[in-house]
Amino acid sequence: MELKAIAKAKMKEGMPEHISGTGDFIKVDHDKCVGCGRCIVICVMNLWRIRDMKASLDEDYQEKCLECGGCYQICEFNAIKFHYPAGGTGVVYKQG
Amino acid sequence: MILREFDVIVVGGGPGGAMTAKIAAEKGLKTIVFERGRKSGEKNSSGCGLGPRMFRDFPEMMKELTPDVCPSMRAGVYARNYFINKDDIVTGMVMARPTESVTYEPAKSFITMNIYRSDFDPWIMNFAVRAGAELKTSTLITNLIKENGKVVGVQDEKGEKYKGKMIIGADGVISMVAEESGLRSKWPSHQVTIVPQWDFEVPRENIDKFMGEETLAVWWGATFPAAYQVFFGDGFHLGLGNWLFWWDKNPLYYLNRVVNIPYFQRLIKNLDAKPRELHSHLLPWASYPVNTHTDNVILIGDAGGFPCPLEAEGIYPAMVTGKIAAEVAAKAISDGDTSKKALDLYDTEWQKTSVGVEFESGKELQSIWRNLPFSPKTMEWFVPMLMELLGGIYDWSEPHTVRVRQIMNKIQSYLPDAVPFAMSYVMPLLAKVLGDDFEQLRTIPGLIEKLLPKKKSHKR
Repeated sequence: MELKAIAKAKMKEGMPEHISGTGDFIKVDHDKCVGCGRCIVICVMNLWRIRDMKASLDEDYQEKCLECGGCYQICEFNAIKFHYPAGGTGVVYKQG
Repeated sequence: MILREFDVIVVGGGPGGAMTAKIAAEKGLKTIVFERGRKSGEKNSSGCGLGPRMFRDFPEMMKELTPDVCPSMRAGVYARNYFINKDDIVTGMVMARPTESVTYEPAKSFITMNIYRSDFDPWIMNFAVRAGAELKTSTLITNLIKENGKVVGVQDEKGEKYKGKMIIGADGVISMVAEESGLRSKWPSHQVTIVPQWDFEVPRENIDKFMGEETLAVWWGATFPAAYQVFFGDGFHLGLGNWLFWWDKNPLYYLNRVVNIPYFQRLIKNLDAKPRELHSHLLPWASYPVNTHTDNVILIGDAGGFPCPLEAEGIYPAMVTGKIAAEVAAKAISDGDTSKKALDLYDTEWQKTSVGVEFESGKELQSIWRNLPFSPKTMEWFVPMLMELLGGIYDWSEPHTVRVRQIMNKIQSYLPDAVPFAMSYVMPLLAKVLGDDFEQLRTIPGLIEKLLPKKKSHKR
């Protein structure tokens, strides 16, 4: 199997549980985003795309995001705003 | 809305926050600790190894850690190092237990006690609750309340306000308390790492059967940053990290590269291991903690940048700084002075601890880590060079005298890389660590000269 295919299969198997009701906890300021794509590289869950030269999150990111904050930390243009999801929601690590 | 008032407000319910709340409550301070998860340890906390210093420094607490309350716990005396070349082949390994220079128990008996944080964090938080601290779970603190530019409380996502004489930021790598109090904006990318990690499930009986007394392994690679493998009661973690600026591909690509090493595949087959949960963490990896406090505010643990600058051990530093923060807060509150100047005592106190001693060489330690295990390019020559030294002689391909010459020649070919590396990174570290003793190293060439047999003139 190709490395990519293995990664995909395993990712499905290993997806941690998510509790809904997170609210919108990652936002992009399109005035600041230059479309450099560093958030795309760093996101372990591969939740970012470039649309019209700007970074854009997948619509279902709230059900997949691991809340590491990598996108927020790596953005040199401070275009990504991140805060943790509402208390008691979001990712749950059972074997963290 | 009733505004509730406290002496100490702790934001974040990990081991550091729990320790702060425990000590503060024991000192009779009215203490509340906020945790955004439904319980401590269910969000993305990352460290999974308890070092022996925890058992030495907090014996009363640690003796209560048993498999009943923490089923994942597993300690082992051996750490294994796998060396992997650029073709993803395991070229050799070294397994070691604590050496004879280790001075105390339990450090002689195990390298790390491994725990899932989902077990450990609720356990340690219970000490704070037992001491009388109030624990508020499922609550995200969104901002700080300020008066005259000084932090005087916190506000949660529902708009509820809590006033506190002292606010302790125990809220981890992305610290709202650090950012809102003006102590720091986000970390520069050379001071923070991203760490993707797989949890693998392993049938309980297989771990001891195949791993024996092994507690962890490091996979030193020439195509990926050094990866750690840590064994628990019924599973293991495999993770790797690097500074945020380093990645040219998705971090998971590098992690899965380790998973796909044939030797690793054989291991998971033997163990009957299956991937169970994927994690991703940020981890501050700073050379020195700066801006740790301001008026009415102290940062501890990851929020303050306290993970070990060499190996990023985080739980112990969080507990040490949490304890000190609570003690300093208690004194400041009792003196009626919680100004930044009064809280300078926090720095003085943590600098005296084991954590402080580690950071005296923080810059050199961080630098060697960045340039060796976190630099596959270096590992490309380092791994084969090391293996010539370790394994080259056990070989029947030629007479051993020929082999020795072959090995020496090969090692010589690595010197153009190795010597500048040693001069740039190893020597500064040795100079810092050894201090005046560094001079002793100068006598080594002289000693070797004395030990070498005199060259005989060959007369026929």
